[in-house]
Amino acid sequence: MSVMELPSTREEAWRWADTAGIAAAAALPQIAGVETDGWFLDLPGARIVVVDGVVDQAVSNLGRVVLRQVDADDHALAARTSGPGWALHLDADAAADPVQIVHVATGAANHLPAEIVLGDNAVAQVVETYIGSGWANRFTRTTLGSAARLMRSVRLVQEAGFTSLREEATLGTGASLITVFLGAGVAGTRIDARIVAGEGAYADYGGALLTAGEQRQECFVRIHHAEPNGQSKQVWRAVAADRSAASLAAAVEVARHAQKTDGEQSLRGLLLQRTATVNLKPELEIFADDVKCAHGATVGELDARALFYMQSRGISPARAQALLTHAFVVDALDRIGDAVVRDAFVADADAWLERAL
Amino acid sequence: MTMLNIENLHAEIDGKEILKGLSLTVNAGEVHAIMGPNGAGKSTLGYVLGGRPGYEVTAGSVRFLSSVRAEPVEAHATEGALASGPSTSSGRAGECEWIDLLELAPHERAVAGLFLGFQYPVEIPGVSNVQFLREALNAQRGQRDEKPLSGAEFLKLAREEARKLDMDAEMLKRPVNVGFSGGEKKRNEMVQMGIVDPKFAILDETDSGLDIDALRIVGDGINRIMRAPDKAVLLITHYQRLLDYVKPDFVHVLDGGVITRTGGPELAHELERAGYSQVTA
Ligand SMILES: Nc1ncnc2c1ncn2[C@@H]1O[C@H](COP(=O)(O)OP(=O)(O)O)[C@@H](O)[C@H]1O
Ligand SMILES: [Mg+2]
Repeated sequence: MSVMELPSTREEAWRWADTAGIAAAAALPQIAGVETDGWFLDLPGARIVVVDGVVDQAVSNLGRVVLRQVDADDHALAARTSGPGWALHLDADAAADPVQIVHVATGAANHLPAEIVLGDNAVAQVVETYIGSGWANRFTRTTLGSAARLMRSVRLVQEAGFTSLREEATLGTGASLITVFLGAGVAGTRIDARIVAGEGAYADYGGALLTAGEQRQECFVRIHHAEPNGQSKQVWRAVAADRSAASLAAAVEVARHAQKTDGEQSLRGLLLQRTATVNLKPELEIFADDVKCAHGATVGELDARALFYMQSRGISPARAQALLTHAFVVDALDRIGDAVVRDAFVADADAWLERAL
Repeated sequence: MTMLNIENLHAEIDGKEILKGLSLTVNAGEVHAIMGPNGAGKSTLGYVLGGRPGYEVTAGSVRFLSSVRAEPVEAHATEGALASGPSTSSGRAGECEWIDLLELAPHERAVAGLFLGFQYPVEIPGVSNVQFLREALNAQRGQRDEKPLSGAEFLKLAREEARKLDMDAEMLKRPVNVGFSGGEKKRNEMVQMGIVDPKFAILDETDSGLDIDALRIVGDGINRIMRAPDKAVLLITHYQRLLDYVKPDFVHVLDGGVITRTGGPELAHELERAGYSQVTA
């Protein structure tokens, strides 16, 4: 399959996608190896280095992760990943140490599929970081058994190129999936997800996309409540500087018999300059009649009154902007349960703010 | 010693002139009350002095005796009185200097010793009071070449100020003014003032929203923090009741963008009895 066969932006799901950015990323030249040590957080458990879509077993500690064939679905980007990938399978009631994966791209395109399968009541945490230059294309299929719990945190901080993630998750009865993304690099990104929540399942899916320069980042997420009593939360924050664009499309679908579903969406964009763009598309598709779905979507600039208030107390304009923007972004990162991971993500967001403001 | 000298100040918002030639001089050690009807331009005066964007000065000057050393003000050709007036510092650190207040950015005015107590303190979700105030104090200290306070040192100071103003120390941890009642916001303004310890405070209706006990506590706070030979206060108020606690040296009536009358504390009582229209007619 060639890069030229990317989806057309005339299709609604790809409306804000930067397919030209993907093609350009796939053509990026080879760069020298990138240092990965600094990207692993101080957590026990597996540490896996993926270089250009291949697990580097010599420097990785796989823990309970195994390498095996994973077949992706026929999604336009994910389809390219089918082949050797990584998998985390936990039996019922198992609790694994955290799994950390650092994905390094050193130019051109690379593809990798993954599979996370948690048995009933199993608990896992996965932290992924994308660095380097090139097009990193990923597919992750998550299947959570009854009452299983997965906390995923994903940092998109490549210096150049593009990171595209296709995520499919199926949540069993009472299962809980929390996934938080931080896009704070220079590369373009697309997060494309479909989550199917079972009876009483909890899906918390969101993050912060920080864009600057000519960068484009987007998420396109659909949470489907197939059974009653489910709960979902999508908290997305976009901060756009310069001539960049961030796009947040988040949908909640409630099937006809999925009564008592509670779906919450909060999509908020912040423009640091008026030349920047934030696109928001909250969507509700509800076929049940007894549901509670709240959604808010706003794009704005920093509160001028708050900026003046802070400056009147001696805080410089740049610092006042940083404090307000930090507060805006942290809303979405607060959802990371592990303090070590949360602090690292917040620090990366702050470093981004430091550069952008 | 003059601390603030406003000459013929004209200012507009959105092209509409609000201040129409206001002049006022405040000396060190003095408290000046500014009273006047709604819409007179009292808050506008505070915002112009604080440097709020959108408040455009079209004529006049504001000179301020800064508590930090800055570039000396160029004497304006049109001004005689002050250009040769108070002499600039002899160059020793810690001395004061005349500056053109309108030349400074809002945060530089704060560093120079100015404090603006807001009529409507702003809510800042996601930024805690402690963080906000520590940033503010250390930014000011940094500009004055003073050492920043550590987290522990700052907390001690903040708790102490909160206690003196009868504010629950727990409120220091909450986001700035979020969910505070009107009275709590005003008290928080005074806690902030106590922490940054300014030379010159403009307090815009700090008394509104306060019950009688809170009024006494806030009044005591203003006296404690600001009543000093090297400090001064511009107290904007609607009512004379705050002036029972903070005794003004002068009372001015601001109406239609200018000072229409100036007197002693008795003027406030007269205004309370007869109303603005009678007194300034
Ligand atoms: N943001 C604004 N835009 C336009 N006019 C304003 C604005 N703020 C205040 N004004 C006008 O300026 C005048 C003075 O307002 P203000 O200074 O708040 O009065 P005071 O504090 O004495 O009640 C009023 O006529 C008011 O309507
Ligand atoms: Mg007012």
